[in-house]
Amino acid sequence: MLYWLSAWVCGSGKTLNEIISLQQVTYTYPGTSTPAIKNISLAIPAGQFCAIVGGNGAGKSTLAYTIAGFVPHFYHGTLQGEVSVAGIKTSSTPIHDLVSLVGLVFQNPFNQISGTKFTVREEIAFGMENLGIPRDEMAARCEAMMALVDINELAERFPLGLSGGQMQRVVIASILAMQPQILVLDEPTSQLDPIGSREVLAAIRQLSSQHQMTVLIIEHKLEWLAAYADRIIALAEGTIIADGSPSDVLSDETVWERGVGLTRYTLAARQARAEGRWPAGLKLPVTLEEAIESFQAAR
Amino acid sequence: MSEALSLYVARPSRVHQLHPLTKLALAGFMLVGGLLLPGPWGLYIFWALVTLPLAFLGRILNQLVIATLRVAFPFALSVFLIQGFLWTGGTPLFRVGPLSLKQEGLAFAIASTGRILMVVSSFLWFALTTRPDQLMATLSQRGFPAGLSYMIVATLQIVPRFQARANAILDAQRSRGLETEGNLRRRLKALLPLVIPLVLSSLIDVEERALAIETRGFNRPGQKTNLIVIPEAPWEPAARIGILICAVLVVGLGLWLR
Amino acid sequence: MDLSINSLSYTYPSGVLALEDISLQIAYGESVAIVGQNGAGKTTLVKHLNGLLKPSSGKIQVGGWDTADHSVAELAIRVGYVFQNPDDQLFQSTVWSEVIFGPKNLGKAPDQISELANAALQAVGLNTSAQKHPYDLFASQRKMVALAAVLAMDTPIVIMDEPTTGQDYSGTQMVGQVVESLKKQSKTVITITHDIDFCAEHFERVVVMAQGRILIDGGAREVLSQTETLAQTYVEPPQLMRLAEHLGMGTMPLTADEFVAYWSLR
Repeated sequence: MLYWLSAWVCGSGKTLNEIISLQQVTYTYPGTSTPAIKNISLAIPAGQFCAIVGGNGAGKSTLAYTIAGFVPHFYHGTLQGEVSVAGIKTSSTPIHDLVSLVGLVFQNPFNQISGTKFTVREEIAFGMENLGIPRDEMAARCEAMMALVDINELAERFPLGLSGGQMQRVVIASILAMQPQILVLDEPTSQLDPIGSREVLAAIRQLSSQHQMTVLIIEHKLEWLAAYADRIIALAEGTIIADGSPSDVLSDETVWERGVGLTRYTLAARQARAEGRWPAGLKLPVTLEEAIESFQAAR
Repeated sequence: MSEALSLYVARPSRVHQLHPLTKLALAGFMLVGGLLLPGPWGLYIFWALVTLPLAFLGRILNQLVIATLRVAFPFALSVFLIQGFLWTGGTPLFRVGPLSLKQEGLAFAIASTGRILMVVSSFLWFALTTRPDQLMATLSQRGFPAGLSYMIVATLQIVPRFQARANAILDAQRSRGLETEGNLRRRLKALLPLVIPLVLSSLIDVEERALAIETRGFNRPGQKTNLIVIPEAPWEPAARIGILICAVLVVGLGLWLR
Repeated sequence: MDLSINSLSYTYPSGVLALEDISLQIAYGESVAIVGQNGAGKTTLVKHLNGLLKPSSGKIQVGGWDTADHSVAELAIRVGYVFQNPDDQLFQSTVWSEVIFGPKNLGKAPDQISELANAALQAVGLNTSAQKHPYDLFASQRKMVALAAVLAMDTPIVIMDEPTTGQDYSGTQMVGQVVESLKKQSKTVITITHDIDFCAEHFERVVVMAQGRILIDGGAREVLSQTETLAQTYVEPPQLMRLAEHLGMGTMPLTADEFVAYWSLR
């Protein structure tokens, strides 16, 4: 409460619409000499579904942890520049206040299950218990969250006995139960099979489209991101190399060359262009729909 | 599919409905009796009159008896052989070749077995009827450090995964030509490639778990709440004091009878 | 080296039937991808090929050796197995010593080991990282170390379990190049993968599994265009085949080059 008041009083000069704001942020992990992210400046408006792409080592996870406040509070190291979420500066706010503002989900579902609860329902309540939420409120939120990610039938199951996709959805429900304003997901499907991935991505998509949650997702599944993300930020070697709509960013050659990758549709179109079969000025497609249109138009 | 490393068996019994602390008190009472009552026969009487009925009430009599005997039997056998035959001096009962079975040794073996029976039964009775997370929640609410209770309960769930990973590592290293069967030297050489990945990957896991716990606000200062209500009948706190008094009486009885 | 699987059935100690009457002949130099939903039995099948599992009934022969008669370590000279999780095998303090561990166990000569290790590290793009501690590398790079460690064993048959999971685009490209190089060396490459585009681009033969049985087994082009059968085991066709279908193209392309070639011929 105090932090909200001080943000207003000090008049940070930023529009409240920017729920995430980074200004000239550079971070170096302890014991290393090269910064993992350099001079990142970024503003993300509330409700946006934003994807971060880039090769491994580009700084994507570091950026996610910085927004969630785990850089610097958990990882320590040197953080320069200003990071604000919902008007609050992360470096001067303790991590346990930040976790109810920014939820973080990462790759391995097994390591995110608390290991202290014997049913899914109680697992979802774990974070709320730590926040001291009253019992009735917790019970209501458990039901709501299970419905949100479609795991109602798993309520009495043992969390570590579920499939990867089911487990990851339990984790997402557990984080959402703490009612963060922003959800950050670091490669949430990379250890899941296609079914599990589909379940998790569908849940995330619903969060964004039906509940207007600000979602920041790191993913390699470009085809899916191209179809559903509002905005894509491409990182390489710790800096932002592109920032815009999926259609623009993922058809940009300079972006591919720096490790981001491209969908097969773009690849095929690029090949056609190299063989001189692609009309000048026709944009390279990124999704299936775009590809159908473009290839028909190119004939 | 994983199961937690827990002995808890769900049953619709009056015992299961008791508050964890009441069960802890009862288990403590049985333990005290088992350690201090004079043997040998006093222990077995206590076992028959107190532990077995409590197990019956908890509808876990079968599990308790089987598990207790499983632990007690090898112990009984070894203590019988060692103390029975190697007791110095004493009254021989019968001879087996050069060795003779001594009466005092036999009495000692019976008494020791009785104590083991009581100790193991007390622990098992408690573990079979109490959910570990409920025990921990109770203790946390009464001031037990949250970090410690987390470690205990989480270990129960994580250890099976540890075992699964150890098997995966064994498979992976064998597939690289590592011989794991054979003479002692070969087995020792195989130790590092099996143990190090286990330790290193566990360390990585620990870091990730610590991060995950943090994302759920675990280290937030202030009172935690509980989703599940742990039921406690109004007469239970008084009953616990009663059990404590009985335990003191048993201690007195045990000391007096020595 | 030929691989022969005859009427293989396998039941877990818990009593669950994992594989039912599987028969499969893989000639030397073939590249085979095994696809299908989780729980179909893919990993169970493949673990029989290097002796990690022994059949409940049926017989598996690796170049004439019956796997039931040989230990895993013995079969390792013929079958290399790259596991999905590299952290299940990394234990040395340098990438180099990790990579030479396998060939050393197989009793290869020192100069041959050096040669193989160098070639392996080159193939995965880690030749400049030979003296680094594996845990100083990213998880995706550690996966490359594990791959190099098996390549250095120079086995005629190489099995890969989900080699592209957790890899970024360039990592996936590199794994693809490794597969191509193994094919050029006439090695048999068998992979389990969920990445159906990767499968289409590098594997001549595709085996689709569901519930412990083989649904279809054939050339990649024929198998991957059978959309309904694939859907039974939750496998989606490759991106370019879907596009080709929407554009009404007759022949199904496996790579971008083929796609453009077929498309321009219409």
